[in-house]
Amino acid sequence: MQGRGPWQERVRAPGEPWVWFTAVGLTVGLVMILGLLGLVLVQGLKAFWPRRVVEITLKADTSPQFRGSRVLAGERVLERRKRHPAVEVAGPSEDREWQLFLGNKDVYGQAFRFVDVADVERVRMPSGLLRLERTEYGPLLAYPVALESPGAEPLPAEHPAFLATLQQRIEEAHQRRGEIRRLEKKEIGELNRQLEKLHWRLRALERRQAGGGDVSAELAGIRQRQRELEAAYETLAARARELRAAQERDRLVCRLPTGEEHRVPVGRLLSFYAPNDLGWFGRLQVFATRLREFLTQEPREANTEGGIFPAIFGTFVMTVLMSLAVTPLGVVAALYLREYARQGWLTRAVRIAVNNLAGVPSIVFGVFGLGFFVYVLGGQVDRLFFAERLPTPTFGTGGLLWASLTLALMTVPVVIVATEEALAAVPRSTREGSLACGASQWQTIQRVVLPAAAPGILTGLILAMARGAGEVAPLMLVGVVKLAPELPINTTFPYVHLDQKFMHLGFHIYDLGFQSPDSDAAQPMVFATTLFLLALVVVLNLTAIGLRNHLRRKYASGAF
Amino acid sequence: MPEAVLPPPTRAPLPQRYETARSTLWWDRFMNRFITVGGVAIITVVLGIFVFILWQVLPLFRGATVQTLQVVPASDTAEYLALGLDEYGEMPFLLDRRGRLHFVELNRPGQHRVHPLFPEDNVEVTAWRYHPGRQELLCGTRDGRLERIEIRYRTVHGGGERRLDPDVQVQLLPALARPGHPVRAVDYGDSGTDKLVALAQEVEGRFEVRAALLTQTRGLLGAGQVRVEATFDLTDQVPGRLTHLLVNRMADAILMATAEGEILYFHREGRALRLRQRFRPFKDCLRTEIVLMDFLLGDVTLVLGNAEGRVRLYSLFRPGAEGDRVFGRTKQFPDLAGPPAFYCASQRNKAFVIGQGAEVRLCYATTEKVRWHTDLEVPVQLAALNSKYDRLVLLDAQQNLRVYRLEDPHPEASWRAFFGRVWYEGADRPRFEWQSTGGSDAFEPKLSMVPLMVGTLKGTFYAMLFAVPVALLAALYVSQFAPPEFRGVVKPTMEVMASLPSVVLGFLGALWLAPRLETRVPSVLLILVLVPLAALAMGALWSRLPVVWRARVRPGYEFLALVPVLGLVGLAGWMWGPVLERWLFVVTDPATGERVADFRLWWPAFTGADFQQRNSVVVGFVMGFAVIPIIFTLAEDALSNVPATLRSGSLALGASRWQTALYIVLPTASAGIFSALMVGLGRAVGETMIVVMATGNTPILSFNPFSGMRTLSANLAVELPEAPHHSTLYRTLFLGALLLFVFTFVINTVAEILRQRLRDRFKTL
Repeated sequence: MQGRGPWQERVRAPGEPWVWFTAVGLTVGLVMILGLLGLVLVQGLKAFWPRRVVEITLKADTSPQFRGSRVLAGERVLERRKRHPAVEVAGPSEDREWQLFLGNKDVYGQAFRFVDVADVERVRMPSGLLRLERTEYGPLLAYPVALESPGAEPLPAEHPAFLATLQQRIEEAHQRRGEIRRLEKKEIGELNRQLEKLHWRLRALERRQAGGGDVSAELAGIRQRQRELEAAYETLAARARELRAAQERDRLVCRLPTGEEHRVPVGRLLSFYAPNDLGWFGRLQVFATRLREFLTQEPREANTEGGIFPAIFGTFVMTVLMSLAVTPLGVVAALYLREYARQGWLTRAVRIAVNNLAGVPSIVFGVFGLGFFVYVLGGQVDRLFFAERLPTPTFGTGGLLWASLTLALMTVPVVIVATEEALAAVPRSTREGSLACGASQWQTIQRVVLPAAAPGILTGLILAMARGAGEVAPLMLVGVVKLAPELPINTTFPYVHLDQKFMHLGFHIYDLGFQSPDSDAAQPMVFATTLFLLALVVVLNLTAIGLRNHLRRKYASGAF
Repeated sequence: MPEAVLPPPTRAPLPQRYETARSTLWWDRFMNRFITVGGVAIITVVLGIFVFILWQVLPLFRGATVQTLQVVPASDTAEYLALGLDEYGEMPFLLDRRGRLHFVELNRPGQHRVHPLFPEDNVEVTAWRYHPGRQELLCGTRDGRLERIEIRYRTVHGGGERRLDPDVQVQLLPALARPGHPVRAVDYGDSGTDKLVALAQEVEGRFEVRAALLTQTRGLLGAGQVRVEATFDLTDQVPGRLTHLLVNRMADAILMATAEGEILYFHREGRALRLRQRFRPFKDCLRTEIVLMDFLLGDVTLVLGNAEGRVRLYSLFRPGAEGDRVFGRTKQFPDLAGPPAFYCASQRNKAFVIGQGAEVRLCYATTEKVRWHTDLEVPVQLAALNSKYDRLVLLDAQQNLRVYRLEDPHPEASWRAFFGRVWYEGADRPRFEWQSTGGSDAFEPKLSMVPLMVGTLKGTFYAMLFAVPVALLAALYVSQFAPPEFRGVVKPTMEVMASLPSVVLGFLGALWLAPRLETRVPSVLLILVLVPLAALAMGALWSRLPVVWRARVRPGYEFLALVPVLGLVGLAGWMWGPVLERWLFVVTDPATGERVADFRLWWPAFTGADFQQRNSVVVGFVMGFAVIPIIFTLAEDALSNVPATLRSGSLALGASRWQTALYIVLPTASAGIFSALMVGLGRAVGETMIVVMATGNTPILSFNPFSGMRTLSANLAVELPEAPHHSTLYRTLFLGALLLFVFTFVINTVAEILRQRLRDRFKTL
């Protein structure tokens, strides 16, 4: 108990209700932030949690049938009150509806459907139903019937080894898919790159020829090489075709909940689980698998399925490049302002101006990046080094380098301000001690001031990274795209492709939520991506805050 | 005692020992210089952003520049009637009175090609009209013949150079004219399937006016036969002599100017031709007769000039909400010194060249601006602009062709276009409008910044309306009433809130919150009222409790007691919203006639403003996530930096904690709080992704809370990726960025100066 304050002396302190009133502000603020974090956490994790599939039998006479059947099955996504705006509202029981995720988009044409609760006769959770992830059209919800292979007896679903066999076939198909991918991306891609190089050389030679030079020998050599490459391409393409045919060979026969029979090639299946037969632990396993796949795989089907790995990687590479650019810039500028510049009104004005740049909207930096980096600098680079590719721009269009530089420029005020604060916090006595020992100014800065200020600088850098990682608006102008499975760092020369466009978590959210053809189907993905981005930003920020608090304590104790 | 052995004398210290290593000195000098130069350079570059953006914007405000390229004499002393130009401005042609076309090759001076249009030699052209857009010439002769001539240029490559080859195709128009009588005016409009020809012929001193509608079917094998669909005799409807006759390119209007200065507008609908409007454009002037009547690009605006040199523009629009489109005066240009002698409209934009005597003007119709003017030594007779809008050719009275290079990349830009009301074609009044792209060639970009600025203000207003009370109350509570441990938790939480990526906020606002709020507006209203009331009521109740009870709760922990109560009240408000709706917001559905309780229908019915799902209320709330933490942090700093002596003194004198906060702390920190508000405002103004995602992005001028808007920043994000480099739109968007930059920079500077003042004040306290 604290000492007795004046509020306890008087029976009724004036204005006490207003104190409570001010508490509303804090409550609302905290509820907002915690609510948002909670919402994203729950919705994001829900995207991976395997839901039960319910089979609904509709009432015989009244309700509209679905594809000529009274039975349909799906995941119950949403239960909501049906809105009756009329003043006279009917009884409450008819008032609700369910949104079902039916899957089987290729057969049904739609993946979601609303069902009136009033129309439902019976709900059960059928055992044996499988949820099969596919390479296209989203998941399939169906009862397996048999596994057909050419030249063999179909394996019925009742057979004890059925699921194991299916799993094995899917794994084989997965390997073949990897093989096809390797063939097409790496080997054929390599051929393509060589062909493209030849094409540029050919164009350069043709220009020389037009200028009157004799290049026929070289031309013939290039043509010969082109033919060789094309032959090699044919071989590889034939192999890829063969593998593709193998992907279509085995077929899974299944029965849809509506009673229709459906055949799907095993080569298009990715994984499966039986949602209603899983125990709690089994569901947890599925959850972990889906989470892992989400973080490590490439997106499929206009980004609404699959993972977000390229977006994570793009965000990471861009943030690292940005940090590489912003650290020296910010630190040098801050060192100059704090240690070298004469502290007059001009320095003060510059300090205010730099500080205020942090408040300039990020989109303005994007506009500058587009106008200056992309069009002026990029255009110049293209004219100097990539003239043969013009008018197709290489650096004269948005790309990784320009995006990183734009964000570096945007965050440089943050780093300058943080560094300056950290430098100012280094006690004067420390500096003077160092100088008195005979160290030069640079030595003092290098060995004494900068190490002491390092945590503060790091804090600024982390804050800058958090801002850079979460920023989208400027990136939309300078090089982010909705799909770029080609990573900006790979094994082809020059390994880091600074001119390449890239994917970004923030833009991924925007794109999924707003440009996606099926926004209902994309919503779990958006929430999952949001969760990941939010976690990244919050962790970065908390690190920065923790560092700063640690620093404060250190200086508060006055170690020197 | 033995003699003490003296230690050997120490060597005198080497002077080098005290010297600093050369490398150290070198490094020191190098780094000093490096940091100074680097620091200055970085700061310059960072501040250079403003300069660069300004530099991109400036060309918008430059006028046109016109340079003389060459002066070429036209071949003979013929009387020239019309002047035309090819796309590149390399080969102008002239029509002379005797029905011959003279092509002048500018690249090979002295080379002329003459192309007769009529087989006979003694022809006299009495009526002519040239459509530069379609490169189509119409000629009527003294003996009543009518020809339509298409002039095409073919590019011929040969002998290592490129040259143009004119190709003239003559088409006889149907026998509309009476042979043997002079054609006084003729025009032709072609909409593809329908073609309309009109002519005025002088028959024994009297004007006969006739028109014909031709149709051409288009089959698989190309254009089919042209056939006369209908003929019209308008002689009875036309009083007296005609001075001008125009048919528009849509082939649905015939315009005639009479010698008395009246304009008749005939409109065609199907096969009927009807007089729709008669008006006198120069009714208020001393001399009413019309000297110039011609179309602007798009054929919906008339450029009219009278004998005094007045230049007025009349456009087609619907004066009321309904009714026919008729001509009405929209613009007026500065008077010329005399009757306009020549006129030529651009085929790329709404620019035109006009002049009289030796005076030449380049005007832009939309912005009502004279972009360039000059006075030559010699009077000018004819003018032509090429379709690329980079060459101007004038024929002067000494029969010289003067060729100019025209540079006017941004004719549609001006202060007025960006910040003033502009009367666009088709509109019934001048408006602020933003619409940067459109479907047709004749579309004029509407580039008013005003709707965007209003949108920005609107978004900011609703964001601040929500964020300011919440943030300030929270700051007051945390700094004045809450126990200090609270601060350690609340401040980092708020900082995390400030760092939430705006794309996340925008997504949640648009796809999660907006659909949920759409049907629950009454609930939101109820919560807005109930929550503060509940808090006040609880406070009042609390202060009436016996001291023994109150002493159990440490002061400052009220907040914890409040959370569940406010939660319950909020829930109650959410649940009872529909009840309130059924009680208050009942409206008769016009479609079904039923009485319906629906705020979404009630709002438009009651206020006349529309209701959208993604509206300003949603944006305001979501932007709160971005703005609240900023205001909170800065305001809290300002409040808790108020010297403790002031607070203690006030409390010691017996003021309650509320009185101390309200009368001592708040006024002392007011400058800091104001500065916090400014910084928050700056953030709200520049917020991009939330607005892009959670509004409909329609640039409208309305403060309706249940409609969307388009802000400057959202406009940049939406339009800049599509804007061609260095186009007018591109530079206009940079202007938007400049406005944002300047606005936020100024706001932040003011805030910063206020903060520094406050700091100085606290030092003295």
